[in-house]
Amino acid sequence: MAHNIKILPGATVCEDCTLEGDITIGGGTVIHPRVTIIAEGGPIIIAEYCIIEEYSTIIHKKSDKQEDPPKPLFIGAHNVFEVGCRLESPCGHVGESNVFECKCFVGVNVKIGSGCVIGAACHLSAPQTLVDNTVVWGSEHHVREALEKQPSQLLQLDFLSKVMPNYHRLRKPNIHKRQPSSRQSLDSSPKP
Amino acid sequence: MELQDTYYNKSEYVETASGNKVSRQTVLCGSQNIVLHGKVIVQSDAIIRGDLANVKTGRFCIISKGSVIRPPFKKFSKGVAFFPLQMGDHVFVGENAVVNAAVVGSYVYIGKNVVIGRRCVLKDCCMIEDNSVLPAETVVPSFARYSGSPARFVTNLPEAMPDLMTEFTKSYYQHFLPTTVS
Amino acid sequence: MIPQVDSHYCANCLENMPSSEARLKKNRCSSCFDCPSCFHTLSTRATLAQPRPAPEAGGGDAKVENKQPKKMYYLSCFNCRWTSRDVGIPDQPVASGGWPERSAPHAARVSQLLEHYRAVAQQEKQDKLERERKKFAIRGKYITLTDKTGLTGAVARSIAGLGDAGAGAALAGFAPAVPKEDVEGLPEDAFTKEVNLKQITSMPQRLASPEWQPVSVSRLHPLAKLLSVKRSQRCRACDHNLTKPEYNPGSIKFKIELLAYYHVPEVKIISCEMIKPGAKSTLLLKLANPTGHEMALQLLPAAPPPPPPHGETEAATEDKDDSIEKSLDKSLKLDKEPRWPHVEPPAILTRVTPPAVTLTLAPRDDAAEYDDDARHEPSHIILWRKSNKLALRLELTTDPAAVEGSPARTALTVEYSYRNTVPQSITASQNRDHTLYTTVYLDLGTVGSAGL
Repeated sequence: MAHNIKILPGATVCEDCTLEGDITIGGGTVIHPRVTIIAEGGPIIIAEYCIIEEYSTIIHKKSDKQEDPPKPLFIGAHNVFEVGCRLESPCGHVGESNVFECKCFVGVNVKIGSGCVIGAACHLSAPQTLVDNTVVWGSEHHVREALEKQPSQLLQLDFLSKVMPNYHRLRKPNIHKRQPSSRQSLDSSPKP
Repeated sequence: MELQDTYYNKSEYVETASGNKVSRQTVLCGSQNIVLHGKVIVQSDAIIRGDLANVKTGRFCIISKGSVIRPPFKKFSKGVAFFPLQMGDHVFVGENAVVNAAVVGSYVYIGKNVVIGRRCVLKDCCMIEDNSVLPAETVVPSFARYSGSPARFVTNLPEAMPDLMTEFTKSYYQHFLPTTVS
Repeated sequence: MIPQVDSHYCANCLENMPSSEARLKKNRCSSCFDCPSCFHTLSTRATLAQPRPAPEAGGGDAKVENKQPKKMYYLSCFNCRWTSRDVGIPDQPVASGGWPERSAPHAARVSQLLEHYRAVAQQEKQDKLERERKKFAIRGKYITLTDKTGLTGAVARSIAGLGDAGAGAALAGFAPAVPKEDVEGLPEDAFTKEVNLKQITSMPQRLASPEWQPVSVSRLHPLAKLLSVKRSQRCRACDHNLTKPEYNPGSIKFKIELLAYYHVPEVKIISCEMIKPGAKSTLLLKLANPTGHEMALQLLPAAPPPPPPHGETEAATEDKDDSIEKSLDKSLKLDKEPRWPHVEPPAILTRVTPPAVTLTLAPRDDAAEYDDDARHEPSHIILWRKSNKLALRLELTTDPAAVEGSPARTALTVEYSYRNTVPQSITASQNRDHTLYTTVYLDLGTVGSAGL
């Protein structure tokens, strides 16, 4: 597997994490220590201003009916992956401003819109599509619709990107040009 | 049931003068902001995020494998801050638990795989059962036992809880022994 | 033990409420709310709301007075992300309280009914009283007015009922519910319209607010949080307080704390060999003395304890000992149930061969915890001794009829000497030392297969 990790300027990526395969990390994104991102089935593109916390795992799984060249797993801007969550979706698309709470699990064949909240310890494994602003919560996986979008975490990102360099060894940004990822993030914004 | 001895690899753990036993396989971020008050066990792959804010634990705390202790984050009208996280004496944190609480009192039992949401307040003498999820900003009163996802009050704890927790953590510490090289 | 309500407090804001006020507020907190959607506690969120600049007002002075953004508060649930804005409750300018209270649609009728039945109850009481008086009067030797005038009891009652103006009026002004023949039919599209489950409330959501029972999600309103209570316990037999917590809800201290944990010897399993039908196995037990006095212990085969010499008081402690003892066995898992239902003792197929020796346990000594040398004793029963603890080796014999995979249990009775330190009246001073019995049930996992 070719390791091709692109970190855009402004991203804070701790050294103590596992990154494998073709991964692009957008500017302003913060990746905490002990994060695992494995792009074995195709590239993973993480857009701007995401937070990925400790022990989260994002895997682009290999599948048999893969297109050639493989479709990238695109993760929109402003997503928050809390401690210990796991995302295995190869479905190519995660919207914007979603919150994946602690220890949640999103399996293959789950499509996620924008502004969704996957509650702590929820397991989504059946094929399904979460429309925008869906909230899943509790052990019985209750579903409801939020009226408002999840508030952005820009202030927290600001704080983290200021504080983390004082305490952690970071991976240096290695790309200084604007990459097409920013354009894609615009494409993927939810339809009005 | 008397606790069985738990053995650890002597080369893996560091023992401090105050009796703290900390695994080398942990991630202690910002260790200058972490205060362990003596006889605390921090097992392998635990993460304590001292870089975000101060973390203080009391005596005889057990932080099990793979757990994450993380000061909570709060947004204010004027900006953001991470709250310092305080933990009392004789606290047990089970394996793979995530603790985002603001305050954890003394004699608290947190089970395996528990998620404690942001800025929760766990008063003295309470218990969160295995696999429970405590949503953010929950207050758990004393002598309450919470369970489920979202966690709700299930039952009261016996009045002897402080003594039981003291004995439990102390005997855990006493049974946490290095493997003797034979 | 009789549990008693000691004080009411709110589990969220940890504020005490006097019981009279609690009754008035239907045992709900006035400042904390539960989410109507998932029943988790709501948190108050603050936002900076720019006061809406009046569009008609002149642009000049509006700018001056709206410079300062105003803090507005709304309620939000961190579990399911429900907010008070979802149902159109306006934001409040103060952080706590001030939330609009809804009056239930049937409140008037409910209070009317309540009034009516109170009046009925009062009347009945009055009647009963009257009857009692009458009975008494008849039996008495004086002739009363009713006897003289020959009024029947019924008439006398009716006079009394009419005389009570208040109750009578309440009864008179009451309109009973009228049954209705014609009920509005279901709307045409009741079965054809597509149901949007996200818009309709679930049964628990409806039942959580019995006064309103909202059908649609948009009608859900915050629920005032139910109060919790502090519990004090009393002995069922002698009415003595066993535990009494401090008033402060955040405190874990007790004013009175008489726990079996401090008085009854502790029995813990160290390890046990696999239980096999018809075989013998070894069980290691740890005994500890929690009291400040030397304790003499003897293990006996499980049997109903000899009748306690002092009657009731001891029987009561016996009961309590049992339950706490059981829970102590499980203290490792912290799996304690505060109330144990009185069940028949489980079938015991594994028997302990108790050693016929009396064991002596040293008093508890907190300082001894720091010296670590466990003394090994040559005895074949006692494994080691350490300050107030000792480890025992016991032999177990299992019945050949035990079914593989069934829970293996054993029972033994512990006889122990106990010195009562609670100062009692002078007359009781001579029986300070007691011999008490406790039956302990040990759960030893499951019965293994005989072939192993």
